[in-house]
Amino acid sequence: MATHSTGTTASPRSPRTSASRSRGTTASPRSSRTSASRSTGTTASLAVAAGGAWLLVVTVLGAGQEVIWRNGLIWALGALAGLSFLMIGVVIAREHPRNQVGPLMVLLGVAWIPQQMLFLPEDPLWALALCGVWAGVACHLFLAFPTGRLGSLPHRVVTGLAYATALVLSAAQALVCLPLPAPLRHIAVTLDASSWQAAVLISGALLVLTVKRWRRASVAQRRAIAPVTGASIVATVAFAGDRVADFFPPNPLQLPAALVMLAAFVAVPLAYLAGLMRSRMDHGRVAELVVHLSRRERPDTLRDELAVTLRDPGLTVGYWTAEQDRYVDADGRPVDLDPGPGRAVTRVDQGEAPLAVLVHDAALLEQPLLVEAACAAAALALENERLTADLRARLRQLAASRRRMLQWGEAERRRIERDLHDGVQQRLLSVAMTLGLAEAAGAGPGRAVPLIGEAKAAVLAALDDLRAVSHGIHPPVLTERGLAGAVKELAAVSPVTVTCDLAPTGPLPQSVETAAYYIVNEALANVTRHAAASKAWVRLARHDGHLLVEVGDDGAGGADPARGSGLAGLADRAEANGGRLTIDSPSGEGTVLRVVLPCA
Amino acid sequence: MRVTICEDSTLFREGLARLLAESGFAVAACVDNADELLAHVGQDPPEVAVLDIRLPPTHTDEGLRAAVTLRERHPEVGVLVLSQYVRVSYAVELLGGRTEGVGYLLKDRVSDLAEFAAAIRRVGSGGSALDPVVVEQLVGRHRQPGDPLGRLTERERAVLRLMAEGRTNMAIAERLAIAERTVEKHCTSIFAKLDLEASAHDHRRVLAVLRYLNA
Repeated sequence: MATHSTGTTASPRSPRTSASRSRGTTASPRSSRTSASRSTGTTASLAVAAGGAWLLVVTVLGAGQEVIWRNGLIWALGALAGLSFLMIGVVIAREHPRNQVGPLMVLLGVAWIPQQMLFLPEDPLWALALCGVWAGVACHLFLAFPTGRLGSLPHRVVTGLAYATALVLSAAQALVCLPLPAPLRHIAVTLDASSWQAAVLISGALLVLTVKRWRRASVAQRRAIAPVTGASIVATVAFAGDRVADFFPPNPLQLPAALVMLAAFVAVPLAYLAGLMRSRMDHGRVAELVVHLSRRERPDTLRDELAVTLRDPGLTVGYWTAEQDRYVDADGRPVDLDPGPGRAVTRVDQGEAPLAVLVHDAALLEQPLLVEAACAAAALALENERLTADLRARLRQLAASRRRMLQWGEAERRRIERDLHDGVQQRLLSVAMTLGLAEAAGAGPGRAVPLIGEAKAAVLAALDDLRAVSHGIHPPVLTERGLAGAVKELAAVSPVTVTCDLAPTGPLPQSVETAAYYIVNEALANVTRHAAASKAWVRLARHDGHLLVEVGDDGAGGADPARGSGLAGLADRAEANGGRLTIDSPSGEGTVLRVVLPCA
Repeated sequence: MRVTICEDSTLFREGLARLLAESGFAVAACVDNADELLAHVGQDPPEVAVLDIRLPPTHTDEGLRAAVTLRERHPEVGVLVLSQYVRVSYAVELLGGRTEGVGYLLKDRVSDLAEFAAAIRRVGSGGSALDPVVVEQLVGRHRQPGDPLGRLTERERAVLRLMAEGRTNMAIAERLAIAERTVEKHCTSIFAKLDLEASAHDHRRVLAVLRYLNA
């Protein structure tokens, strides 16, 4: 089982959801669940250990009880922010090892430590020098959400600037406190004084990029990223406000801005964790899917089951039909693989062979693992459904050709009836009348003889008509000599030289003989009419319960079944007998027409 | 001239017997299947065997196969095949490269009694009688480029066509409303154009016809 997604929106894909990694495996949801629950314990222990270490560092290095009590609320909120980033970062890093959001959160938690030191009466110099670094990491995290990678150039530039200003300005802040020579000190003071403008500028850029990403996202994507995006916007605005308020002390807004900022920062990892839980639940639905599929009573509910699992009511499932070389839905209708904006197509293969496609909400591209797991769980059902869809598509095609054959047969019967009515019946009537006249002429032989001659001519003409009509009903030569003899006759009367390669076919069903006869007849007529050929051949062979009928020529080629109705009629005749017609007709290189008819 | 008739339709068989008797033929036997025909001809060979293509038991091509067998076993017996349909491939099979004592006509031809009787007589005396429809189809077939028949004039082709039907020079002259000597001149020209060396006249005639029929 392998899935290949192609989104119609520029949505980030989580890294390396590679086809090869999962190719040929059928995911067993039970085992993946067990491994998940086993690792949940380890993850929790790791998170708690990291949190403990963090608290230890913060309290031992900086905060006595006195400090904590004095700054109560704001210290606690700050600690909560740092702790939640660190601990949830650990959880995410364990859950999604390839997603860089986890490491970034851990980094943010660690970078928060100097910030937490600033509650001491005397700010330690190192803490002062590093206290801004977390802002750079936070900017990086917000822009890299939700994949952990920075998508476009503006994202990278803004992140780079954020890191640079965070490092430089913090350093300047620390330098200001040192006794420095005049020019250096001047630079440090200037830099420190401009820190709030830089914070506002970068926060503004961050907000613009976040809003842009929001506007580009599909409705379903927005639903997924809304909590984190909301929290990060509030945090960014509050951060800028906090920096401005800080610069103009004393200020009544200073404390509220700090509180709002810290609360928003606590909310960011929590929102992320909530999203994570939800996708856990999504994967839980895959397990439900397996149970449902194993219990379902009606076989055609697979699409509905998948729609529930993937939370996409508009889901379309297309099944591969090798026969038609395309995807069809459960009813055998072709599936549109260019579904337009907001929808995406994911291909599901089995080994190298195409199995199905899902046309789904582009938001699902955010959860390739979910789609893959659902498809793996439904693989057997998909294969079943594919066979059924294939069958339905064939039936649909067959029904169409049957209908055309029936119409053709109906038209043919009408034609025969008309021929009999206009020809034979009229002639026999005239014979009866002429003989009546001869009878009336009676004794006068001089008058009777020409009338009798006339009657005889009419009877002979009626015989001619009858011959033509009965040939239309069933070729007499087929009755007399079977298929091989009839094909030889067709070859004999063809204006083009025809060589016959007629392997002994043994007795064939009459319908197959008749179909093969008409196919050769029509094909040779086409050769005469269109091919400008100097020679042609007919080949009949039987193997594996199939009769192969091949008619080839060395003529102009370029025959197209879509154009000539003769070729379409041949295809119908082949299909009506459960067979297939293929035409190989490169321009200028002759035409080879092959029909394979089942005759087991 | 003695004739054996093989035809499974009673109506046609009895009608044919009456017609032939009327025209001065002696009907040696009337049978309704190929096996009996072969047996009869073996015991008491007539001059001509007249038979239908569709015969019991399968009503497919029993008559044609019996005709080919008769021509192999009894070359002296003329074989005239009658059928509702005429087929080029049957004609080729029936002739088997020899136009002597063979005929292949539509059943309709029995309605022209004089013509039909003449055909039987020709077949009985080692000549041939091919239905004009067969000749037309045989000639309408594919021709290789450079076929010497392309060199014949329109009139020569008409003569050759009637020759292929099995007609004598006199009959051809009559049909085309020309003098018999003119027909002979046409024949000489035809033989020359077809590169047929002068030998026994009849032999060249047969070769010309076979070449014409592409048989």
